[in-house]
Amino acid sequence: MNLPIPEEVEAVFREFRTCEFSTLAADGTPITWPMLPFWRAETGQFMTTTSIGLPDKAFNIRRNPRVSLLFSDPTGSGLFDPPAVLVQGDAVAPDEVKTSIGGFENEIMLVYRRQPAGAMYTSNPATRWFSDWYFMRLEITVTPRRILWWEHGQISRPPTVVEAIHVG
Amino acid sequence: MWAEVRRHLGGFSSPVLTAVDRDGYPVSIRCAPELDEAEQVLRISLPEWTGIRPGPASLLCHGHNQLLWNLRSFMVRGIIEPAGGDAWLFRPTRFIPGIGVGGLPGMVRFALAKRRAAARYLQRRGLARPRIDWAQLKAVQARARQPSPPSLRSPG
Repeated sequence: MNLPIPEEVEAVFREFRTCEFSTLAADGTPITWPMLPFWRAETGQFMTTTSIGLPDKAFNIRRNPRVSLLFSDPTGSGLFDPPAVLVQGDAVAPDEVKTSIGGFENEIMLVYRRQPAGAMYTSNPATRWFSDWYFMRLEITVTPRRILWWEHGQISRPPTVVEAIHVG
Repeated sequence: MWAEVRRHLGGFSSPVLTAVDRDGYPVSIRCAPELDEAEQVLRISLPEWTGIRPGPASLLCHGHNQLLWNLRSFMVRGIIEPAGGDAWLFRPTRFIPGIGVGGLPGMVRFALAKRRAAARYLQRRGLARPRIDWAQLKAVQARARQPSPPSLRSPG
């Protein structure tokens, strides 16, 4: 799917290490935590995962699929003066616990390239016992509905907006 | 709770405020809250474009270094309400520590709590605790230490 977004926005999707990912709790409170997003340009969707030790994001999505991803921290991305980008969309989070790297090998390798110290969680039997829950994952797929961005991250100005739902 | 907000907020220059827009979707924006000690609220200026509705909201503070380490995060649940013009009030209702808050004891508590949460998730579905293929993960880590081919620089 070709979304009508400039290369600099796609670069943000590819290179930012984290985004601020929001779901809606049962009482309507938006719950926001940093997440590692993976942009899948071929489908125009984002993939991310959460541990079953932190399942509230998935529970929220199953109740209300409306989510957002804010890309506002370029630390570690290597990008100079990137735009800030907000993606609003609809997510699915199937109730299937995944522990195999099958299908995610590129993403897992990318995480270890970007976060080499993360290997400490698998370094010995004690840390493996302590952190095995982290590797029991639920897959989350986000289909963008609206993409907003601000050149130079100047969010005081109105954003450029693309209504993604009408595309493709 | 206010004391925790005050103590931890000082370490972050631009928290992420998230509220709900007119279409019912979350909308997030970096902001620069000012503490109002007398009212125990945060005063926040928001541009008009956000279109947020008064009501439930949250404030996330997080950070990491260039190698995605030294992770720190916490979130504050609350209520956002207009205060005239571009001024809004955020009334904190609950402080939720994330990773890196509370030092090593906080990290241990965090991990053990999530381990128990994972056990509950499995138990409610009648699932046995799966075994992680550590050797497979170690093999991926070894490959990750090799020079990066262009195809792995961009997950897409």
